Amino acid sequence: MVPPQYYLVLSAAIFCIGIFGLLTRRNALLFLMSVELMLNAANINLVAFSYYWGNVTGQTFGLFVLALAAAEVAVGIGIILTLYRNFDDVDVMNATTMRW
Amino acid sequence: MTPLQTAPEWTAAAPAIILAVTGLALLLIDTIDPDTSSNGLLAGLSTLGSLAAGGVAGWFLTQGTGMESSGGAITLYGDALVIDGMSLFFTLIFTSVAAMVSVASYDYLAGRRYQGEFYSLVMFAATGMTLMAMSNSLATVFVSLELASLPSYALVAFLKKNRGSIEAGLKYFLIGALSSAVFAFGISLVYAVTGTLLLPEIAANLSVSSDLVGVLGLGVLMIAGGFAFKTASVPFHFWAPEAYEGAPAPVSAFLSSASKAAGFAVAFRVFTVAFPLGPVTSLNGGGVDWSLLFAVLAVVTMTLGNFAAATQENVKRMLAYSSIGHAGYALIGLAAITTDGGAANGHVLGASMAHLLVYGFMNTGAFLFIAMVEKWGLGRTFADYNGIASKAPIAATAMTVFMFSLAGLPPFGGFLSKYFLFLSAIESGFWWLAAVGAVNSALSLFYYSRVVKAMWIEEPSEPLEIGSQPVGLYVAVIFAAVGTVLLLPGFRPVIETAQTVAAALF
Repeated sequence: MVPPQYYLVLSAAIFCIGIFGLLTRRNALLFLMSVELMLNAANINLVAFSYYWGNVTGQTFGLFVLALAAAEVAVGIGIILTLYRNFDDVDVMNATTMRW
Repeated sequence: MTPLQTAPEWTAAAPAIILAVTGLALLLIDTIDPDTSSNGLLAGLSTLGSLAAGGVAGWFLTQGTGMESSGGAITLYGDALVIDGMSLFFTLIFTSVAAMVSVASYDYLAGRRYQGEFYSLVMFAATGMTLMAMSNSLATVFVSLELASLPSYALVAFLKKNRGSIEAGLKYFLIGALSSAVFAFGISLVYAVTGTLLLPEIAANLSVSSDLVGVLGLGVLMIAGGFAFKTASVPFHFWAPEAYEGAPAPVSAFLSSASKAAGFAVAFRVFTVAFPLGPVTSLNGGGVDWSLLFAVLAVVTMTLGNFAAATQENVKRMLAYSSIGHAGYALIGLAAITTDGGAANGHVLGASMAHLLVYGFMNTGAFLFIAMVEKWGLGRTFADYNGIASKAPIAATAMTVFMFSLAGLPPFGGFLSKYFLFLSAIESGFWWLAAVGAVNSALSLFYYSRVVKAMWIEEPSEPLEIGSQPVGLYVAVIFAAVGTVLLLPGFRPVIETAQTVAAALF
């Protein structure tokens, strides 16, 4: 059996790739993909430790996370579509009508 | 046996069920007749639904449902939901805000499309908030948090052709998606260490020795980050000024009052039940002193919110920053909890809950007054508010009540709630938190009184034209003002209930 720490390293690496993408990409769609990576990093942990602890709580919650990620993307794509219609672009840095 | 004690257990979740059914009914009405469905019917139904849910929650609260007197907290669905005094108290906040927002939206939405969707989204978000307050498992916390968040994103971006609204929705969504990913990762780390998602079981498994205990601290920090987003606290507060400024004003009212209270409801429960201070701080190598963390965040949040609010020229944006400042005050409820606090812990947490209730009325009212000004087509800066009192004295009086109550001046509800909050912080030994809070309150008087001065004293640069007298907005604003004033004489039962139900958490 692979020691559980290895899964933690894997998921942490994927999570960090997600954070990196989120901080460096200006395209709203790539931003969504980065968030998706971070959520799936959480899923790796949930499934791996569900096996480690011998209960299915983690796997079940993993399914909920998947469903919610899909719902979030649905709302997000809608907002990005209206962003494109109003600003002719999906660059998150362009929408700056408000400044403090 | 009272009738409530013989009712089936699932009826304890009635407030959430009523809100969800109202949301579905609104969608149904809109689906049957999308072109001619009347704004009044939709607004009336969603107001009625919120009032019914709030009434049931209030009735349960007076009957002692889920409290010590009638057999303790009721848990449903394999302990995933818990109905106790605290969840009912917060349900009262959400439903009263939702009712005011529904009434006010009647005027705001007049002549706009997608009215049915608007009201049902408000109801679904309120359902999510009610479930957040009832969550007893990190799984339900996450799902209900998303149920509250997803409709909120859509509501902020509701004005599809308004660039400000879209920008606000985008920023709210992006930061929300980021923070929910961080939150989910935090939950997965806590699960990795404890092997359970139920809050009481997490607390029980904290002491189980594991090689991964360092991971737990990281998980707790990430979960705290998720709550900071929902409550608009530092360091996840960036979205708040943009989202509140760009969103339709009733939505800003809803988010800054109800959504913030929901974040606090779930943060209070998760941190006191799942991560009790003593065991969490004493873990070898993985301990997190979250009380200290929240103390730092409270000080930074209230100072940043108040100073940024003082520099604004736009009234809506000023209120947005003031709402960040108030998140800082409410954070004192978590910051002043100590390992050996005993009764003092319940006092400070209860005072924070009572402040959130008063804040629900005064802040919703202030944002709805802004909705009224937007309806009149006046501008958004302080100068545009000059002389409003001469044209609309009743609304201006209500706004004056909200401003002075937000600042914490004596004859209004906001004074007592802040007084009790700071007093109980001192009781817990956190006199410096109370001192920072008091200094910030004094500073806040500066920018709140600017609004009052503009409305009553300044002369408008050009003659004011106020067209219609929006009935729904007036009703909502006056209701909020009466609530704010009545909470001064009526504050004793509120604070006593809040402190009793908060003490039950420890």
